[in-house]
Amino acid sequence: MAELATIARPYANAAFDIAKQEGSLDHWSKMLMVVDATRQHETVQVLLDSPDMPSNAKAFRLAEICGEELDDRGKKFLQALADHDRLGLVGEIRAQFEALRAEEEKSLDVEVVSAYEMSDAQTQSLKSALSTKFDKDISIETSVDSTLIGGAVIRAGDVVIDGSVRGKLNKLAETLSL
Amino acid sequence: MQQLNPSEISEIIQNRIQGLDVKAEAQNEGTIVSVSDGIVRIHGLQDAQYGEMIEFDGGLYGMALNLERDSVGVVILGDYEDLTEGMTARCTGRILEVPVGPELLGRVVDSLGNPIDGKGPITASQTAPIEKVAPGVIARQSVDQPVQIGLKCVDAMVPIGRGQRELIIADRQIGKTAIAIDAIINQKRTGIKCIYVAIGQKMSTISNIVATLEEYGAMEYTTVVAASASDPAPMQFISAYSGCSMGEYFRDNGEDALIIYDDLTKQAWAYRQISLLLKRPPGREAYPGDVFYLHSRLLERAARVNAEYVENHTNGAVKGQTGSLTALPVIETQAGDISAFVPTNVISITDGQIFLETENFNSGLRPAMNPGTSVSRVGGSAQVPFMKKISGGIKLALAQYRELAAFSQFASDLDDATRRQLEHGERVTELMKQKQYSPMSVAEMGTVLFAANEGYLEDVEVNKVLDFEAALLSFMRSEYTDFMNDIDENGTYNDDVVATLKEGIEKFKATQTY
Repeated sequence: MAELATIARPYANAAFDIAKQEGSLDHWSKMLMVVDATRQHETVQVLLDSPDMPSNAKAFRLAEICGEELDDRGKKFLQALADHDRLGLVGEIRAQFEALRAEEEKSLDVEVVSAYEMSDAQTQSLKSALSTKFDKDISIETSVDSTLIGGAVIRAGDVVIDGSVRGKLNKLAETLSL
Repeated sequence: MQQLNPSEISEIIQNRIQGLDVKAEAQNEGTIVSVSDGIVRIHGLQDAQYGEMIEFDGGLYGMALNLERDSVGVVILGDYEDLTEGMTARCTGRILEVPVGPELLGRVVDSLGNPIDGKGPITASQTAPIEKVAPGVIARQSVDQPVQIGLKCVDAMVPIGRGQRELIIADRQIGKTAIAIDAIINQKRTGIKCIYVAIGQKMSTISNIVATLEEYGAMEYTTVVAASASDPAPMQFISAYSGCSMGEYFRDNGEDALIIYDDLTKQAWAYRQISLLLKRPPGREAYPGDVFYLHSRLLERAARVNAEYVENHTNGAVKGQTGSLTALPVIETQAGDISAFVPTNVISITDGQIFLETENFNSGLRPAMNPGTSVSRVGGSAQVPFMKKISGGIKLALAQYRELAAFSQFASDLDDATRRQLEHGERVTELMKQKQYSPMSVAEMGTVLFAANEGYLEDVEVNKVLDFEAALLSFMRSEYTDFMNDIDENGTYNDDVVATLKEGIEKFKATQTY
């Protein structure tokens, strides 16, 4: 995973630079999403994994399946990947592309797991609090996990704010078992 | 075992609960992507610092050693069997620390300062990071006070000063640890605090050493840091630094401390293991590129610091006191090969070395020190005058003996002067033998060495030399008690001392009781 990230970085950077220059971040985002989704399809996967097909042909087929969603540049990008036998990296490239885009657009995806369903008002106040803290546009995705017992855990990229009762109990247990 | 006191326990629990901080703080979190032989790679942890403690689920800690673009390489300090891919790890923002202070004396601890002797928790109020920068030039003072090891051969020929680094180097099973343990036992009367760092040794050996130290009342002023062969490599690697921080506490508070790293070869092995697993490029003998720095930064922290440094460090609480940390690193060679990588490195870092030789050991000369290749580069200026004057003759006699030893088989064909030198050398060599766990005081060593210098041993048979020594010392102790005590205390050397010594030895020889 870590090594894949290193290999995928130049491709993601290249795609992002082109998209930024052309002002088509949205379009590229969509293209990468389509390719990634297609690639994950079972039949397509069999095709991509088959050893008796040259890489370039695989890229051609993949572009064909994606059809209209891919423009010329998208197809060329796939060919470039195929030239270096990196078609398998599309998922990682997409993740990095999205990260670069979020950085550029100052947006941040935050995942909030709470013990009980949060009201809209709560979500809104949390959103505004987080946007002051991180100085970014926050988009919140909420989910419920009753094993937290109470409170919530906020996850924004690497940063985790654990305000759950379970987390506090764990801390207490560690302190006492020292 | 101590009795458990119920009120004490609930008090501890109360304190811990009161000290518990349950505020929700933003933490940097990452995911384990691979686990292999005590090394985990973690994706995320953007804010990790070099050497930072990384916390895993279940109170397990690791140390971040490789900071790469997409991952952090962390060595696990403990059992890594429970870690799996996908588990989370958190930054703590703290560099690895160990407890320090006088509370650690008399205890056996692991590399993290946790007690492993079953004597209850350690209540040290202070902690110190395990990696610190050594005192600079301005803070230092030259070495001019001795550390008495209590062994005739060492104190006479390779004297060690407070703040010096003296290497003990030999093959396995020649008596390296024996010298170190004798050095600790002899500090009973000097007030020097001792730290014994056991790296990669058998637990049975370590427990024997602790039992020996307890038997001779040496545990009272000693801390044993144990990283046994079964401990993970990172624990063996950091144990030397942990022990050093515990010793530095005494140095920085104007006291004197002695630290023994037994042995640094195994520490280098542990570091090599970690480095190779972290995929750092191997160099000579598969050691990583920074194996010299591994030992140089450790041994540089053994130093004598001046009173000003101590005063600044203690905020004026301790005035006019210098502090010192003396290091006795131990290196094990393979088949006497001192030109291997790690031995040459450590020889070049230290201020001298004590060479022990298999040949000497097998011929019954114990301690098996080779007086020719053993040197002390700074200890001479730290010797007490009494020992300094007397030891000169011993060194010379042994050097001459070594030159002539090859001819000793033709003894009958040699001229008188040569024969006499040979015989004198034989006796002095015999006199260098000393039993384990029987350190001698300055006056005792000086008296017997003086007797040898002045030729009083000439008519003593070689195999009677040690009996002569024992009898002479008990005679001097009973007949010249004040004189001996005075030398032990002041170490003066003048005509009166010489006259008294001569008188005493002659009186003793007249009794013919050896």
